[in-house]
Amino acid sequence: MTATVLVPNVVSPVVVGLFLPAVFTGITVGLIGLLAISYQKNDLHALILTDIVGIGMLIIVASVGTDLAESLVLPGLVVELAEIMAISEILMSREIRKQGKSVELFPLPLNLDMEVLTTAPVFFAVILVAYGAFLSGFTGGAIAGGGILFYVISRIARGVPSNTWEGLAGASGIAWCLWLVGFLIFFVAPDYWLLALFLSAFGVFIKVTFKASLVGVMGREEFKKE
Amino acid sequence: MLDIYTWFYTGVALVIIGSIGTVIGPGVNDPIIRTLNTEIPAIGLSLILLTYNSTIALLTYIAATTIISMILLRAIVRLEELGAEL
Repeated sequence: MTATVLVPNVVSPVVVGLFLPAVFTGITVGLIGLLAISYQKNDLHALILTDIVGIGMLIIVASVGTDLAESLVLPGLVVELAEIMAISEILMSREIRKQGKSVELFPLPLNLDMEVLTTAPVFFAVILVAYGAFLSGFTGGAIAGGGILFYVISRIARGVPSNTWEGLAGASGIAWCLWLVGFLIFFVAPDYWLLALFLSAFGVFIKVTFKASLVGVMGREEFKKE
Repeated sequence: MLDIYTWFYTGVALVIIGSIGTVIGPGVNDPIIRTLNTEIPAIGLSLILLTYNSTIALLTYIAATTIISMILLRAIVRLEELGAEL
């Protein structure tokens, strides 16, 4: 039985040949992960196994093998990252509520005072923000936002003035307008495509970065309230 | 040596063996070992993305898998500190 799916000519025959093995691999890995989750009693282990199911999903998306696959992998990654971040926060806050005791935001059994504990989050945040700026666009924004988020959640709670919030939200809105203007230039004046490309890429980069870090700031305020 | 099928099927084998190892491998009742085991299918997926020439997807996946590992390890450490049963 031959496959009767219409394949455009631009897709290379190697990619077409690898389509079925890749799809079967993705389905196999997804089934392994889902079966393991269904037998799993512990929530934390189920969260770790979600990673495996996400890998299966990414293989199926990658099997398309053109630029379409590349543009579909990126939102999939961001969604998986956000999902794991949210569920781990929910698990921790549920456990805190169940025990009814207050804990430090920075988990340490001993009262250690080492320089690396204050500088390492800064280092990670700087590297992630620089890498995100290099990637630019939506995913770069997600990575830089993840860096800022990591910096915020690894610090001991310390109030942020509400002016800073308002300023971040305003800058996020302006960056979104830059993104829209970039798209408009693409259609109105296609000759300036390079300007439009950079406006869109860095506008959405700044917007997603600030949105992700605002989530971290709000989460920290919520934590302090308890 | 540079045959792309080699890279692709190495990636497929790493993904399947790694995911089975994450599910029923030795010592996976410790969540830290289970988290570290998920790095093996991550390497396999990187090889598959490399086969498909998905450079941007590969770069983003490397960053995202690092952040995911950090989030999971933070959750494990904090839950252990709270005394939750793992």
